[in-house]
Amino acid sequence: MSIVTVRDLVKEYPAFRLNSVSFSLEAGRISGFIGRNGAGKTTTIKSMLNLVHPDSGEIYFFDKPLSEYETEIKKRIGYSTGTVNWYPRKKIRDIAEVVKCFYDTWDEEAYRRYLAMFRLDEDKTPLELSEGMKVKCNLLLALSHKAEILILDEPTSGLDPFSRDELLELFIELKKTGVAIFFSTHIISDIEKCADDIIYISGGKIIAAMPKADFANRFSINGENLEQTFLRLERGAQND
Amino acid sequence: MTDILKKEMNLSASVLSYLFIAFGFMFFIPGYPILCGVFFVTLGIFQSFQNAREANDIVFSALLPIAKRDVVKGKFLFSCFIELCSFVLMAVAVMLRMTVFSEAAVYRDNALMNANLFALGMALLIFGLFNVIFIGGFFKTAYKFGKPFVLYIIAAFLTIGIGEALHHFPGLEMLNAFGFEHIVLQLGSFGTGALCYVIMTLFSYRRACEHFEMIDL
Repeated sequence: MSIVTVRDLVKEYPAFRLNSVSFSLEAGRISGFIGRNGAGKTTTIKSMLNLVHPDSGEIYFFDKPLSEYETEIKKRIGYSTGTVNWYPRKKIRDIAEVVKCFYDTWDEEAYRRYLAMFRLDEDKTPLELSEGMKVKCNLLLALSHKAEILILDEPTSGLDPFSRDELLELFIELKKTGVAIFFSTHIISDIEKCADDIIYISGGKIIAAMPKADFANRFSINGENLEQTFLRLERGAQND
Repeated sequence: MTDILKKEMNLSASVLSYLFIAFGFMFFIPGYPILCGVFFVTLGIFQSFQNAREANDIVFSALLPIAKRDVVKGKFLFSCFIELCSFVLMAVAVMLRMTVFSEAAVYRDNALMNANLFALGMALLIFGLFNVIFIGGFFKTAYKFGKPFVLYIIAAFLTIGIGEALHHFPGLEMLNAFGFEHIVLQLGSFGTGALCYVIMTLFSYRRACEHFEMIDL
């Protein structure tokens, strides 16, 4: 069952157009949103969070339109990014203390559990954390209010291979609890490692949105791996 | 409402905003343009906006499960809270100068503005200017605050200058009233200042909500 539906999303900038983007996400699955830098990944994600205003198109979470049920929907989703830090000089404890006020679904026990699982020290500030721990810190807040879907913008960007692997393993664990994970990346091995579905965007257009196996069957030729397939598709798009 | 104010106070605010509330006591200083104290209080609030921008506070707030206008409301509530805290200190200073110290030579022999109800009205007018020019200007982009702050500085110091100069004009000497002299005029000017503050703040809040709703973050 689709818990997120994005339909015909259009956003026009002077030098870029997000062109009729459509896809859906299902509960308990990991969807990798892949595309090169500037392909429209962040604009799509920001539209899904109502941070940017699409020119047209519809976004539904849990069968409810985002435009009408924004507050209710935001209680059920979690967002994290690997590129932005919130309140770098505030202690994690203080940030969590404020965030919990906004969620009636806040689960203190889950907060403590993930705090221990991520080996985060509440008395540290985001500034004192490594890049990987910063992502985990954002995930901690999202998971503690029982987010049913995690929207993650380049969560693995800037991580060393070990931290990346650790994070992707975590996604697989979270998936088992029924959480849907939608993460953008330009690192193809991330997709290979853990994604169930691939949403491939190029030049503002969705080229494919399907299960990973179907993607390989449809686009890969002569025993190519995913990386080779994407590179060939991107080169083709450039030549077009 | 209290949650967003709590977030502003605990995460977004600079400690200077709280410390600079004490500039309200500048209403006790003789031979000094007391309305500068009002400006320093707003300078403290400005520090919180700067702090908030560095901490990506606006995007963080917009991601919380609240309406976008509540993000704007949080900034206004916090700013008004600081302004009104310092206003209480200014009011205490004015009450003491109108009663206990109304005959004190150090205040009587003062070429500058006396701390009376007219001064309190002017203080509220300057706070109103801050809310309109600076906070309203900030929410046009939710990012740039240099130009709105420079515009506010110009408006604030022009207002301070006018406030300091008015009682030197023939016929306006009573604006510098001591104690309870010309109390109707004092109350009237205070009421006008308070009304300006309320109208300017509400106008700016509504306009900021409209702007913020349209912004791509």
